[in-house]
Amino acid sequence: MFERLDAVKPALQKLIAALRERFAYASVLATDERYRMWRVSKNGISITSEGDGGYGFVIRVFDETGCAEYSINAFSEELIPAIVKEMQARLEAERAALPEGVTPLPTAIPDDSPAVLKKEAQFEIDPAALGDEAILERIARIREKGMQAEHVLDVSCNVTYCAERKLFLSEHRDLDETHMWTTAGVGAFGARGEELKNSYKGYSLLGGAELLSEVEHDVGDVTATLGDLLRSEPMIPGEYDCVCNPEVTGMIVHEAFGHGVEMDMFVKDRAQARQFMGEYVASPLVTMHDGSAVDECATWAFDDEGTLTGDTVIIDKGVLRRGMCDALSAARLGVTPTGNGRRESYERKAYTRMTNTYFEGGGATMEEMIASIPYGFLLEEPTSGMEDPKNWGIQCMVNIAREIRDGKLTGRVFSPIVLTGYVPDLLKSVSMMGGKIELAGGGYCGKGYKEWVKVSDGGACMKARIRLG
Amino acid sequence: MERIKRLLKEAGISDYIIYGYTERTAELFFVKRQLDTRRLKDVEKFNVTVFRTAEKDGTKLRAFTGAMVLAADSDAEIVKALKDAYFAAQFAMNPYYELPDPVTAPTVEAHGRLAEQAPEQSAGEMADALFKADCDKDAFLNSAEVFAIQKRVHVVSSRGTDVSWTEAEIKGEYVVQAKEPEDVELYRDFCFTELETEALTTQAKEALMFVRDRAHAQRILKSGNYDLLLTGENVMMTLWFYGDRAEASMIYPGYSAWKVGDDVQGETVGERINITLRALAPYSKEGIPMRDRKLLENGVLKCVHGSNRLCRYLGAEPTGDYRKFSCDNPGTMTFQDMQKRPCLWAVTFSGFEMDPFSGHFGGEIRLAYLIEDGRMTPVTGGSVNGILLDAQKDLTFSTDRYTEIGYDGPYAILLKNVAVAGTDA
Repeated sequence: MFERLDAVKPALQKLIAALRERFAYASVLATDERYRMWRVSKNGISITSEGDGGYGFVIRVFDETGCAEYSINAFSEELIPAIVKEMQARLEAERAALPEGVTPLPTAIPDDSPAVLKKEAQFEIDPAALGDEAILERIARIREKGMQAEHVLDVSCNVTYCAERKLFLSEHRDLDETHMWTTAGVGAFGARGEELKNSYKGYSLLGGAELLSEVEHDVGDVTATLGDLLRSEPMIPGEYDCVCNPEVTGMIVHEAFGHGVEMDMFVKDRAQARQFMGEYVASPLVTMHDGSAVDECATWAFDDEGTLTGDTVIIDKGVLRRGMCDALSAARLGVTPTGNGRRESYERKAYTRMTNTYFEGGGATMEEMIASIPYGFLLEEPTSGMEDPKNWGIQCMVNIAREIRDGKLTGRVFSPIVLTGYVPDLLKSVSMMGGKIELAGGGYCGKGYKEWVKVSDGGACMKARIRLG
Repeated sequence: MERIKRLLKEAGISDYIIYGYTERTAELFFVKRQLDTRRLKDVEKFNVTVFRTAEKDGTKLRAFTGAMVLAADSDAEIVKALKDAYFAAQFAMNPYYELPDPVTAPTVEAHGRLAEQAPEQSAGEMADALFKADCDKDAFLNSAEVFAIQKRVHVVSSRGTDVSWTEAEIKGEYVVQAKEPEDVELYRDFCFTELETEALTTQAKEALMFVRDRAHAQRILKSGNYDLLLTGENVMMTLWFYGDRAEASMIYPGYSAWKVGDDVQGETVGERINITLRALAPYSKEGIPMRDRKLLENGVLKCVHGSNRLCRYLGAEPTGDYRKFSCDNPGTMTFQDMQKRPCLWAVTFSGFEMDPFSGHFGGEIRLAYLIEDGRMTPVTGGSVNGILLDAQKDLTFSTDRYTEIGYDGPYAILLKNVAVAGTDA
């Protein structure tokens, strides 16, 4: 797969040698991608093939102002002199135009100790081999099944897969990996007057079209939830005992805490977590991981700066142990990078980003949690969230809160719901943790409002005290 | 472009739209006044959409799929990508529609320093404009990113469209911080099509003032219903609801029941809304000429907008996709007068959300001013959970104006009786 990277690899090594004559460090990340999304809805049938990445290169060097990068998508051995000349000229022009008084942020050149790796993508069914016709037929059948429910205005069904190859080359590193993820989603829409309600379920897998069989089973659940939403009531603000299903747990892991331990935020003095290392920030039931110890959409053997990945334990039984870190931030902070330097594509900067982030499981069941609550809510269907590393404020939106009274679900449903509060208060209030961990990688994660990368997050169901509005 | 046209012919594809562009950027990343990283970009891409027609049970059908082509690809690679896309299209048939009407015109060149000088120079000048606002110790610039972008676009279609234009944008984001009495920050972004250095300095000064107040903000907001004052980009995001609901992609599947001529604001006691969609580029990605279009006149829908296929299905004129609108209400109250009445002025949120499906809007409050008895108290925490379909019945716009790349209109909007969850909840 992606043979054109094999064809240019010797020339990329020559480019690095040419750059090393002028710069203290040089590396290249080369990428190629095969992306396809199939979608059926009332808007029609579509096949889309343009992902965010594609074939391209990001060249990284270190000069007297520190780290500099050049992103291009045309490369051959013949172009090397022109690329080096253009890059040097433009970097000099950029340096000359810097505002007066700007100085480089002191950054040691990242570790370039020798490493060689080659890893192939693992999957059972290649979506490309299964073919457009078969995939569209299957998702059209799923949609038809969903459309049979009376209250449904539309059902949309989509499947996306992305096969990527990344090649990281520097003077001492030769890292090469192909990777494939597949995601799917079913959304059901219904109207209540002018208000349109929708329920959505996502699926994800580090692998191929074998995911589809899972989707076919669940469409009835999505349309049933839509029915619940169509009779939902506005939330009565307050602090409640809540049971989070694994998806909501995942959003809390990711938005409420994960962004706060991205260590490029430590460099900028933008993360409160830096002051809490070694302290209790959560209930002893909480142990949090990020990394490649699980197989999900964001499992890579190395990151976009050529750092090998692993399993980072961020919270250990309630105690904050460490953050996750890209190579440049690690050099600035004097710590070891954790393989979290990720880019939206070869066209973008690398930042500290999460990969697969989750809470370890405990021993309770959801039924036990519900039974333990005199009055509260079961939270389902996270829709969005926004990080606040500096002040550890929470903003997470969920679609559904199911009322619990005297240890039982009453059938009353509230929507939409805004979760707010202070992150350590919420995490310290975790009083029960479920046993079965589920990760979801259907979405993308932004840094602020941009830089979208594929991530997964999750955990088990958990019981906590949460402010709802 | 000529090479791709030749290869499309070789692949036996007669219906297509090619959207090709080159993009050149200079990017600067700062931590305080220290340079974190600098970046440059030079890319060229061609998005080729191929169309295929078929007939089933006497009904004409049409399908499209896309292929991404690079100038560096060999002829054989391009032909394979095009043939694969054309093959796939037979499985994605939809009701038939015509491709956009042909249009040819000379290149529309963007003018001004941002379009004409090197992006490296523009990035440096905008960074300097940001630092000009950063003169105090109690509130300061924490970090910033600046992106200077020059783009050259060319759209060609099998129906004879051949248009091209250039674009320039300078955009970025920054975080301001105040450390006393509480260590807090606020996020701001910006985007201009001219080198608006003074506007950026002014915006950054305002952000520094707000973060100073956030450092003093108290968690005293009580739950209840408030008259809510939204300003700046939150006004823009709220009013985009009308643009979203009038999109062909919402109307065609029935997600929105709006029709041209509908009074979409319903019965009101406040101001009637007037909105115009504004063209930011001369043509859409499909090569449709873009022009300003009245969207709402006194709360009544005047047009449906969107891509070629869905507009044609609705029997509407294809308009292309809009990224900017103006709210043409001159306003009935100065912003100063608005601040004299009891209300909650929500300045910034963790992430303001306007859901075009449900009409719900809101988010977690990072800074608001509680205005009571003529006193303004900075508050933080709590969340707004409003319903625009209710709130639109009684709106007041400010006479003060606000402009950014996606919006031109009143700076402030007052919405009555909006639900707020306080920090007492």
